[in-house]
Amino acid sequence: MLRRAFILLLAAALTAWGGPAGADALDGVLEVRSAYIHVDKGVFLLNARIEYPINPMIHDALKDGVTLSFDLEARVDRPRRFWFDATVVNLTLRRELSYHAVSDRYVVREVRSGKQESFATLAEALEYLGRVDDWPILVEPQLGSGSYRISVRAGIRRGRLPASLRALLFWTDDWHRVSEWYSWSLPV
Amino acid sequence: MVATGVKPNWRAVAVAVIWAAAGLGALLLLAKSVQNSDQFSRAQPWILLLNVIGLVALTIVLARKLWQLVRDYRGHVPGSRLTARTVSIFGALVVAPLLIVYLFSLEFINRGIDSWFRTEVKQGLTDALVLSRAALDVRLREYSRRTEQLARALSGTPREGMLALLEEERRATSALEIVVYGELDRALAATSNEPIESLPAPPPADLVRQVNQRHVYVSLEPQSGGQYLIRTAAPLADVPGAAGVRYVVALYPVPPEIAALSEAVQRAYSQYGDLAALRDPLKYSFRLTLTLVLLLAMLAAIYGAIFSAQRLTRPIQDLIAGTRAVGKGDFGTRLPLPSRDEMGFLVHSFNDMTKRLRRAREEAQRSQQAVERERERLAIILARLSTGVLAIDRQLTVRIANQAAGAILGADLSSATGRPLTELAGGSARLGQFVEAITQRFAAGREEWREQLELGGESGRRTLMCACTPLPVEEGDVGYVIVFDDITVLLQAQRDAAWGEVARRLAHEIKNPLTPIQLSAERMRRRFLSSMSPQDAEVLERATHTIVQQVETMKQMVNAFSEYARAPDMKVVRFSLNALVAEVADLYRSHEPRVEIRLDLDERLEAIEADRGRVRQILNNLVVNALEALESVPSGKLEISTRLETAADGAQYAAVTVCDNGPGFQRELLGRIFDPYVTSKPKGTGLGLAIVKKIVEEHAGRIDADNRPEGGARVRVVLPVADSTRSAGARERRPDLRKEKRA
Repeated sequence: MLRRAFILLLAAALTAWGGPAGADALDGVLEVRSAYIHVDKGVFLLNARIEYPINPMIHDALKDGVTLSFDLEARVDRPRRFWFDATVVNLTLRRELSYHAVSDRYVVREVRSGKQESFATLAEALEYLGRVDDWPILVEPQLGSGSYRISVRAGIRRGRLPASLRALLFWTDDWHRVSEWYSWSLPV
Repeated sequence: MVATGVKPNWRAVAVAVIWAAAGLGALLLLAKSVQNSDQFSRAQPWILLLNVIGLVALTIVLARKLWQLVRDYRGHVPGSRLTARTVSIFGALVVAPLLIVYLFSLEFINRGIDSWFRTEVKQGLTDALVLSRAALDVRLREYSRRTEQLARALSGTPREGMLALLEEERRATSALEIVVYGELDRALAATSNEPIESLPAPPPADLVRQVNQRHVYVSLEPQSGGQYLIRTAAPLADVPGAAGVRYVVALYPVPPEIAALSEAVQRAYSQYGDLAALRDPLKYSFRLTLTLVLLLAMLAAIYGAIFSAQRLTRPIQDLIAGTRAVGKGDFGTRLPLPSRDEMGFLVHSFNDMTKRLRRAREEAQRSQQAVERERERLAIILARLSTGVLAIDRQLTVRIANQAAGAILGADLSSATGRPLTELAGGSARLGQFVEAITQRFAAGREEWREQLELGGESGRRTLMCACTPLPVEEGDVGYVIVFDDITVLLQAQRDAAWGEVARRLAHEIKNPLTPIQLSAERMRRRFLSSMSPQDAEVLERATHTIVQQVETMKQMVNAFSEYARAPDMKVVRFSLNALVAEVADLYRSHEPRVEIRLDLDERLEAIEADRGRVRQILNNLVVNALEALESVPSGKLEISTRLETAADGAQYAAVTVCDNGPGFQRELLGRIFDPYVTSKPKGTGLGLAIVKKIVEEHAGRIDADNRPEGGARVRVVLPVADSTRSAGARERRPDLRKEKRA
């Protein structure tokens, strides 16, 4: 939010100066369609269905060798009456989508495990990305009594950049979007 | 302005240090974030916030400073011009190189970043990609052809014989896995170079789609770890009556060396793509960062220029204000010492100068006050002095004139200072003569003299003892101080005393022989009258009578002398002066019917305290004197008037004026008219007015005589109404009189 405000401020100040022209590269629907938790042997598993945008710019960018990061952020908060909510868990599932030029396929790679899948079409790859099943986010001992709030949101950014360059993108990054939070409460 | 001494402004120093640290920190962070460090990316919003806040704050502060500078410049505030000039020079010195560096850096960044993404690189990558694809394509085609052959071979083979065929094929082609799928994508037969623990994974959706349309499928699948698999599929010939399509899927490995090379090409391509996408944002970010840094540096530099210029000019402004204050006479000005440099030395010198000036002024004031006090003392002494003191310069302009001088010269000299004496002389005959006398002496070249001056006037002659001394006044100019005493009274008193002595002696000398003369004459008459003839007796009788009568007359004359010389012996009573005047007038009306005697009496004058007999004598003597003067005048007129007068100190006086229309006093006698034996008349003792004056003085009164402008004499006698006034007056006068008499 803060960043966005700054960017807007700066963009407004520097429009005349001639920054990169800005049609939104990630145009399209980006939302968490549905999400739910099911508990299996004391492990809370998150299942979510996300719709990611698909448009020619994404297609072209991937074909040019750009890697996109697909982040699914899940957090569990314990609301407090007179104070900020306490965050119990804040996890991010990061997957990278890239176009494999040698094989003419789209590759999805889970960053943490290194597991990867390849798809013949972008649509298939996105469909795969939009389906998260049985993602363990929490174990029962982490929870006390009371009500918890679970929130999920999805984000896309242009990924796999050196840190310094990613830092630079702070100034101007059309290739970064996040969805609204999809939240529901979890009585324990 | 209050002196604060050499005390550095710690607050300003602290603020400056904080500003500098914050600015430097922000710049460093910004620079660091552009370099390699992941942790800064998290802190970046705060860095940006810090920078933006700094920028905004700096802009506001600078705008305020500039506005103040412009206002000062327009208002001609001292030092503003110097500040403006310093700021513009500093600003130009800083801004110009900054701008040059900025533009240069901008160009450098643009070109540098563009050079990373040169088209040759891109082309090279694309070529490498095409090459590796071509290398792999050979294998793909080879494997796809073999799979097709296998499918044909399998088409005619029953399900039981398939496995052997597959095994054979696997060994021949070093395939990793070969599976035959039947309807509903169920595996009919499978062989693998690894032990099969479970059912093979379902084929990918696009593969199924492809074979369902009776096409041969081949794909290169990248694996994690830089491995590649070639997956091929081909449909088997249809079996009549079967529900779905049967097909064979084979997995082949790609030789590691080829895979590694391809993977390297792929990685380079991907990295290049990532970077190329960053080309514009990168440029933009660099430009933005650079601009932000430039703005911060520029604003800070200009602010610093203003700050240092103001610091530099503040002592100068203080000096200007200080000199203005000194110019207005405020020597209490002390400036705060800015530092220990040359400016500090200058300010120190200024403070030293004002201190000396202040001391000098205080010294001057003190001495001036001393002079003033001395002058006041002198003025008091001069005012109390009965001697006239007159200080004049060569042009006879009055410098100093005391009250006594004015009184003696019969002119008001209270406002005469700075005016020439000749101009003032018109008001008084005595002053005119005085001026004439001193002018004559100056004209004769006499500057130091001591002489007695005789000044005539309507109210009698005055004798002044006058001394003149030159007095150096200023450079090249000479003044004179003239000191003079009215010695008229002194001379008069001397004369009076002399006459009293003469009268006493004469009375004794004359009285002594008179008695034997009278006795002898009476004895002669007694002795010889009876023995003489009537004729002789008559002669004797007449002769002795004449002798006795003349002796009596002589005795009276001698008594009159005694009267004049005798000591006062007053019998003060309270009586009406008006009644006495009327009584005397009635007496003389019947005595001298040819002279018209008129009275003009002041009703307010009720009663006075005096010796009635002597006052009557005054009146008698004055009236007789007037009547004698009117003997030769055909229609003589005599007027006696009384008036009640009040002096400045509240004391009341009765004034009696006797006027006639006779010939008046002779001018040359006017000054000595009250001296004994000064008379213009053929008969009379010459003591009348002398006695009058004596009595008046005994009553502490005043008498003066002059001629009326319309002709005739006028004598005016002023007597105090109350005895107390006289007593006070007498006490003052008596010692002088006695002293004079003794002298």
